[in-house]
Amino acid sequence: MKESLMDIIVCPVDKHDLELAVDEEEADEIVSGTLTCTECGETYPIEDGIPNLLPPDMRDEVEA
Amino acid sequence: MGVLENKARARLFYKYLSKVYDRINPFIWNEEMRGEALEWLDLSRDDRVLDVGSGTGFGTEGLLGHVDHVYALDQSEHQMEKAIRKFGLHGSVSFHRGDAERLPFADDSFDAIWSSGSIEYWPNPVDALEEFRRVVKPGGKVLVVGPDYPRSQVMQRLADAIMLFYDEAEADRMFREAGFEEFEHHIQQARPGTPRAITTVARVPEK
Repeated sequence: MKESLMDIIVCPVDKHDLELAVDEEEADEIVSGTLTCTECGETYPIEDGIPNLLPPDMRDEVEA
Repeated sequence: MGVLENKARARLFYKYLSKVYDRINPFIWNEEMRGEALEWLDLSRDDRVLDVGSGTGFGTEGLLGHVDHVYALDQSEHQMEKAIRKFGLHGSVSFHRGDAERLPFADDSFDAIWSSGSIEYWPNPVDALEEFRRVVKPGGKVLVVGPDYPRSQVMQRLADAIMLFYDEAEADRMFREAGFEEFEHHIQQARPGTPRAITTVARVPEK
C-alpha cells in the first residue's frame, strides 16, 4: 500500500486514526507492517502490500 | 427476509464458495447492465471511488473506464487474489481487506461508492448502508446492485434460507433506515425470464 492511504484509513471498530509501523518497503510501496489504532490499540497487519482492516473478530477464520 | 443469521456462518459460506465459484450470482449481471449502472453514477475521472465487495473485480473493471483510480475493499483473500492478477498490486487499484458493515475509512473520504453483487451476503445491510453514508461526502452518490426477490420457488427457498433478496419496498425501507432521503431503484434484467437485479442509486444527504 501507498503511505498516502494513511489520509483516509481508520480503525474499523472506533474510526480513530491509525499509526503506521513499516517492516518492509519497496520503492513507494509498503509491503509489510502494522497499523495500530491510536485510541483502542488494536493492530492491523499489512501483508503482501495489502492492509488487512478486517475487524479482529473477522480476521482469523475468514481464510487461513 | 433471508438474512444470514450470523457472521460466522456467513464467513464459512464464503470460504467454501470462493473455492468453488467466483461468487454465486443469484442475478444475471452483464457488461451491458454494468455500463448502464455506471452512467447513473455519473463519475468524473478524478473522483475518489470505493468499490465495496469488489470480489474478483468485475465492477472495478467497469469503474476504471470512468475514473483513474479505484479503492477496492473485500473480505475474501481468495477473491482479491484474482482481482490482483487482473489489475496488479501497484496500478490503478488500491486493495484493502475489510468489512462492509464496519468500513475502515474516515468520514467523507469518497465522492462515490459502488457495490455490486455483495449486499446479498451482508448480515445487516442497513449497518453497511449507514457506513456508506458516513464515508461518502454529502451530495455524493451510492450505488448498490443486489438480487431482486425471485419469482421461482427454488430461488425463493434459497432467498429465504441464506441470502438477502429484496424488492423495491424493502430497498426503500433499508435506505431510509440508513438515513438516505433521495434515491431511486432500477430493475435490470438481461432478458425476460432471467433473474433480475435491483440497482439503487442514492444521494448522500447534507449533514
